[in-house]
Amino acid sequence: MIRCTDVCKFYQQGDNRITALAGVTLEIPQGAFTAVMGQSGSGKSTLLHLIGGLDRPTSGELLVDNRLIGQMSDDQVTLFRRSRIGFIFQFFNLLPTLTAAENIALPFVLDGRGKAEADARAAALLAKVGLEHRRQHLPEELSGGEIQRVAIARALAFNPPILLADEPTGNLDSKNGLAILDLLRQVNRQDGCTIVMVTHSEEAAGYAERRIYLRDGRVEKEE
Amino acid sequence: MLRLLNTISWRHLRHHRLRTFLTFLGMALGVAVIVAIALVNRALTTSFQSTIEQIAGKAVLQVSNSESGMDERVLALVRDTDGVLDVAAAVDGFLPVSGERGERLYIYGVDLLTDFTMREHQFAGDGFAFDQALDFIAQADSIAVTESFARRRGLAAGSTVVLNTSRGKQSYVIRALLKEEGTARVFGGNFALMDMPVAQLAFGKEGKLDIVDLTVETGSTVETVQARLRQRLAGAAEVERPKKRGEQIESLLTSFRVGLFFVSLIALFVGFFLIYNTVAVSIVQRKREIGTLRCLGMRRAELLRLIVAEALILALVGALIGCLLGWLLAQGALVAVGQTVRNLFSSIGLSGSGLSARELVIALASAIGVALLAALHPAIEALAISPLENARQAVWRPVFAAKKSWATRLGVLCLSIAPLLVVLAPHLTGAVRQFSVGVIGMLIFLLGLAFFAPLIVRYAAQWLWRWTLALPGVSWVETRLAADSLRRNPLRSGITVATMIISLAAIFTIAAFVNSVRGSLLAWVDQMVTADIIISSGARTAGPRNVSLHEEPAAGLRALPGVKIVDLYRLVRANYQGRPIVVESFSAALSAPVRTLPMAQGDGARVLREMAQGKGAVVSESFQTRFGAQVGDKIELVTPSGPVSFTVLGIYIDYSSDIGSVLIDRALYKKYWRDELVDAFDLWLEPGADMAALVQQIKAGYGDQYQLFISTHRELKDAVLRIMEQSFVVNYAVEIVALVVAIFSVINTLLASILDRSREIGVLRAIGATQSQVRRIIVMEAGWMGLIGGLLGLLAGSVMAYHHVVYNTKLLTGWTFQFYYPYDVAALVVSATVVLCLLAGYGPAKKAAATPVVTAIGYE
Repeated sequence: MIRCTDVCKFYQQGDNRITALAGVTLEIPQGAFTAVMGQSGSGKSTLLHLIGGLDRPTSGELLVDNRLIGQMSDDQVTLFRRSRIGFIFQFFNLLPTLTAAENIALPFVLDGRGKAEADARAAALLAKVGLEHRRQHLPEELSGGEIQRVAIARALAFNPPILLADEPTGNLDSKNGLAILDLLRQVNRQDGCTIVMVTHSEEAAGYAERRIYLRDGRVEKEE
Repeated sequence: MLRLLNTISWRHLRHHRLRTFLTFLGMALGVAVIVAIALVNRALTTSFQSTIEQIAGKAVLQVSNSESGMDERVLALVRDTDGVLDVAAAVDGFLPVSGERGERLYIYGVDLLTDFTMREHQFAGDGFAFDQALDFIAQADSIAVTESFARRRGLAAGSTVVLNTSRGKQSYVIRALLKEEGTARVFGGNFALMDMPVAQLAFGKEGKLDIVDLTVETGSTVETVQARLRQRLAGAAEVERPKKRGEQIESLLTSFRVGLFFVSLIALFVGFFLIYNTVAVSIVQRKREIGTLRCLGMRRAELLRLIVAEALILALVGALIGCLLGWLLAQGALVAVGQTVRNLFSSIGLSGSGLSARELVIALASAIGVALLAALHPAIEALAISPLENARQAVWRPVFAAKKSWATRLGVLCLSIAPLLVVLAPHLTGAVRQFSVGVIGMLIFLLGLAFFAPLIVRYAAQWLWRWTLALPGVSWVETRLAADSLRRNPLRSGITVATMIISLAAIFTIAAFVNSVRGSLLAWVDQMVTADIIISSGARTAGPRNVSLHEEPAAGLRALPGVKIVDLYRLVRANYQGRPIVVESFSAALSAPVRTLPMAQGDGARVLREMAQGKGAVVSESFQTRFGAQVGDKIELVTPSGPVSFTVLGIYIDYSSDIGSVLIDRALYKKYWRDELVDAFDLWLEPGADMAALVQQIKAGYGDQYQLFISTHRELKDAVLRIMEQSFVVNYAVEIVALVVAIFSVINTLLASILDRSREIGVLRAIGATQSQVRRIIVMEAGWMGLIGGLLGLLAGSVMAYHHVVYNTKLLTGWTFQFYYPYDVAALVVSATVVLCLLAGYGPAKKAAATPVVTAIGYE
């Protein structure tokens, strides 16, 4: 599903070249639940961003869902991301003025779908994450765990084959964190969704079938 | 503090170069307008005063009766008055140089043998001996012109110069050249000396004098001699110091000046909002930096000082650039203003000069004062930023408590005070005081509406997006997100909308005023000038280019086939109660059947009948306003025959002069003014007469001999409009400043807005929003700000324009203008604002859409 071959990413800051990824090679098969771990600055978020098409590799080949994502135009990668990749962020990142249902319907609306279809899909996804009763609530009226559930529901809008999660439990208490991880496992097992999750937490990583450890922009080990 | 300014503020300003540059530019333009107006004002004052003083020479007192003139016998009376030492009389005025468009000479007709006691005329060459003077006087076609005039025209002593006089074209021989010194320096060297009788003939003022200059004997005081002369003249002429005469002429420009002051005030007002906007936006941008500084131990007072100092430096640098720009603007404006003054009042050389220390201080102090006031509130808001701000994920923004916010409360206060001031103004004494309080009332109204902007934005955004959905091809989410952005930060959007309200109100007020003046003038010309053909010497539209004519052509004109009525019109400047007025006359008996008189009070037909019967005079609205004359009152005018009392028969509308006009029948005028000159021949034609053929006949018959402005009714209307447009040139500078500020404000707000929403934009991009979708959201937000600002600006502008047209103009000029609402401009203001905002929003939108998603998400 995801194949990285000698992927490098450098950032130029003034005269200094910062190495984020220094030649990562790995393969994540379809339906896998993979955790990417490592210390701060090890390159794990960068790897996630590259897989999601949020950024482009400096060199190397990156194949996502059989598409060479680094060679796509901005619009192509945006449309690809919209339908094939779901994103979950640490800080939830819901739009504060939209209700839970509207936030979930957002990708459909951006895709130009009709309101009825978007509303129906949003209702189904809210039911899936157990928040039917919170449909009309604004993010500020929801708890941290509920917000992250809405974010997961939004990420699943188009039933994407790939779900990328950047520290999805990093901002939650342990009880809510575990509930989110249960939900992710459920999505992985029931829908066959490939999940790549960046985390610091060993406990969270324990939910994944495979753990990849990064250090200084390289794969240090796999478990 | 300096170190903080250098390390924090300077780097921030450098980082936001475009915004810093635009702020400088906006402030500089505001100050430039103020400086330019100050320079123009000073040039006007200096030019009027110096011209009068140069002509006056050594004279300490001047006896005159404006353009009406005095009987020659006044000279003997003055000379025989105790305490008078030397006396010199003169006849003066402008005469156009024949065949040279725009070239004219200021002719000073004096007794050359006595005038040297008053003025030093320096002749070129070997001097001007007594014999030569006698030779000059002995020949009735002698003229002395300045060396510079002769050089420019390629003339020398012995050459001939042809002038358009009241008797048509006359040739004069240059028998002496004047050095450009003393009196000869006036009007840029377009000065000429003639012997008195020659000048009297040229101007048609035989037996009359325009001015008698005098000095007083040692031992007598000027005041005593002045009192003595006044007593002896018994109202037949005025006795004033030259300076006072300068002030009298200068007072003609009062309304022009107050208008310029009004423009300065708007420029400052706009400057205030500019600084406010910049400081408020920069605080939103730097809230984390401020949080960090507070964390590191910066006290609130230090933070306040830092922000205010930043604003002051911005204002000061902007003001300094503005002074330079203002000087440049003034040079251009002086040309335009000079043209206006020449058309309306007098031919005068306006020359620009450097900025005086006082003007520099006023410009800088205005900029600093405005900057301080404007920066204070955002700075105080910044003090509320918590030291924890740099640790927070949420976006900080100033709290807006909607109906209970300080802005709304201030808005309510302003909107309550404004009507009180507007109502109070007419009850105060003095037109300038009434005008000022009325204008302050209107500015407070404008401020009130501006304070309401955040509340209006908040509620307007709620329904705007739903309304926009009805438009084809509009996406739900794009409109919704654009509206949410406005609604979430109503203070920031409100500041921009407020800036637009101020700017557009200024633009619309000027536009509506111009439209009303144009509409009223055209309606007035239709009523006032019913003649089919107007043959003018230039008094109505040519200002000082006018050369009054003798009556002779009238008989010939009457004899032309197709001509039904020929009436003779005369206009002279006179004084009433020591202040300048205009005396107009025509033959009411002759033209009553075909003439109409636009009346403010009284019935025009009755008034014309009574005028024809010599029962009295009609006064203009401006006269009524300035002197309080009412129908039935008696007014005493100083005529060359002495003071004469006239009954006021009615009040007529006269837009041709704002100093006050008195209209009397020509028979009365001729009797008391002893003047048979004519400034216009008004011709009414028989039905079916060939107008074009008649015009040709008139040109063929009189065009060679006289300077004639032959115009049809239509052409006269066009000429009036042209003069009107010229007098509004300075106002257009303000429109440009207002427009620049409004656009800048939108760009500034949107830049801050996208910075504020970086992460939100990043998330949108991450979940699949394309760059064009993000661009549309931002551009739509700009468009809505434009729509709200445009509509509110139009509302404010409409109210202000109505007040300005109906009340302010009446106070300043005495004129009552009909309010003609400029529907086309209104539609243009709103649509152009929306379009400009959409364009202004495109840059920030492009920037937002192009921000790398990772950078945007990681912003916080």
